[in-house]
Amino acid sequence: MSDDLVISDLAAGYGHQSVLHDLTLRAQAGRLTAIIGPNGHGKTTLLRAISGLIAVRTGEIRLGADRISGLPAEAVVARGIVHVPQGDLLFPDMTVLENLRMGAFLPAAARQEKTVLEEVYTLLPKLRDRENQIARTLSGGERRMVGIGRGLMASGRVLMLDEPSLGLAPIVIEQIYEVIAGLRRAGRSILLVEENAMRAAAIADQVHLLDHGTLNWSGTGAELSGRPELLETYLGV
Amino acid sequence: MDVFFQILASGLTLGAVYAISTVGLALVFGAMNMLNMSHGALMALGGYMAWFTMTGLGLPPVAGMLVAVLVCAGVGVLIYLLIAGPMLRSEGFETRVFIATIGFGAMLESVILMAFGPQPKPQPLAVQGGLSVAQVHLPVQNLLILALAMVLMAALALLLQKSRIGRAIRATAQNRDAARLMGVRVGMVYALVLAISGGLAAVSGITVSSLSSLLPNMGGDPMLKAFIICVVAGLGRVPGSVVAALFIGLFEAVVQYTVGVRFSFASLLLLVIVVLIWKPQGVFGRHQGVRL
Repeated sequence: MSDDLVISDLAAGYGHQSVLHDLTLRAQAGRLTAIIGPNGHGKTTLLRAISGLIAVRTGEIRLGADRISGLPAEAVVARGIVHVPQGDLLFPDMTVLENLRMGAFLPAAARQEKTVLEEVYTLLPKLRDRENQIARTLSGGERRMVGIGRGLMASGRVLMLDEPSLGLAPIVIEQIYEVIAGLRRAGRSILLVEENAMRAAAIADQVHLLDHGTLNWSGTGAELSGRPELLETYLGV
Repeated sequence: MDVFFQILASGLTLGAVYAISTVGLALVFGAMNMLNMSHGALMALGGYMAWFTMTGLGLPPVAGMLVAVLVCAGVGVLIYLLIAGPMLRSEGFETRVFIATIGFGAMLESVILMAFGPQPKPQPLAVQGGLSVAQVHLPVQNLLILALAMVLMAALALLLQKSRIGRAIRATAQNRDAARLMGVRVGMVYALVLAISGGLAAVSGITVSSLSSLLPNMGGDPMLKAFIICVVAGLGRVPGSVVAALFIGLFEAVVQYTVGVRFSFASLLLLVIVVLIWKPQGVFGRHQGVRL
């Protein structure tokens, strides 16, 4: 309860272009909340607004007692919101280990770096083998794993994952989603943005449909599966 | 054989002088995609600050070096606060900051001209005397410059590779948004990078003026060469620019001895043209591929 991520009447966008409006959402602590919706309707913008990469125009974002909206990105992560961005945004000329260590850059995370690194290696054993490889030479699936591992290194309160299946082969998507399922079982608070609605519905506690910059439908994953007309209208499946 | 060592010694000294001025430029470009056109004026400022501290105030050489480095580092921070910082998020940052720093450099040069006058002054931070090993004559000043350059390069490499702040600088250089998401305060990183670059410009200005003399526009020529070295190495490649600086210093010494001093700058430019035809992204550079 105290660590719920609460968004009220949010509006945000780029330059003169408004992308999100009247967006209200509660992502419960310890749950996996999924945001689905067609491309270009604001899913990534929502995560960028939460993490402070773009400015919030109106409305408010809170994590428990902390007001997050209005803070710059480096202050948001210090409050415990960790954003694993779309396309990974790794540090291309650093090794896998250096990338992971950057995840624990803030003093609070740096103090438990060694312990958390072991946890990350247990969860993503491939990263241990690739420890000294330069990030730009990794495959797409490995890069995704480094991105997620780097996010975990921050020991945050909420983990936001932007399209973790994007551009990966089906078998690799399977592996990535197994990792996410493991994080959910461990009781992590996760906010997942995903274009693949069925994938998200299968794993999420709560699903929200984002369409034209605002939430259009909310329910559980099972409820979404029982609404074929929604999927057809908004997602073309 | 003695001639060979003489050329080697003067080439390496020249290269060391170039390396100190080039690394500051390369660091700023690598970290923030910014060509700092006021680097030459910062070099002159550093040289004059050392002169002022030692000749004007009568303080020892260490104080001269320290004051020069601190003042130029401070001006580096000022460049961030007044110019680079406010422009950082605007479109066409690279072009705007390029032009704005030309203006800032011209202003700085005029201030130096008004404060210290147009006549050349000797750089007091210099060492007389020389060593003769076999038939090779080595001025102590040159050896000091070489040692200073090596210490500075090693310290910078250590800072970038091993320290927390160095990791923040590299992360910011490689992906600004990702660095912010890790909690790096990129504004602080940029201010610090400009301060380090300013400090390096001061040292470079002192070494350049100790080999010739102090003039308000003394930074122009070394800055031009530093840019040439940056381009040859690949813009923003810090270790590569050190190697390129030493190589170009040697190249210039060889040309000066074999063909003549008046051909040295022309052959340098010819070399750049050849390098850019052969590798447009610089010897150590990389194509910035389109990211998907």
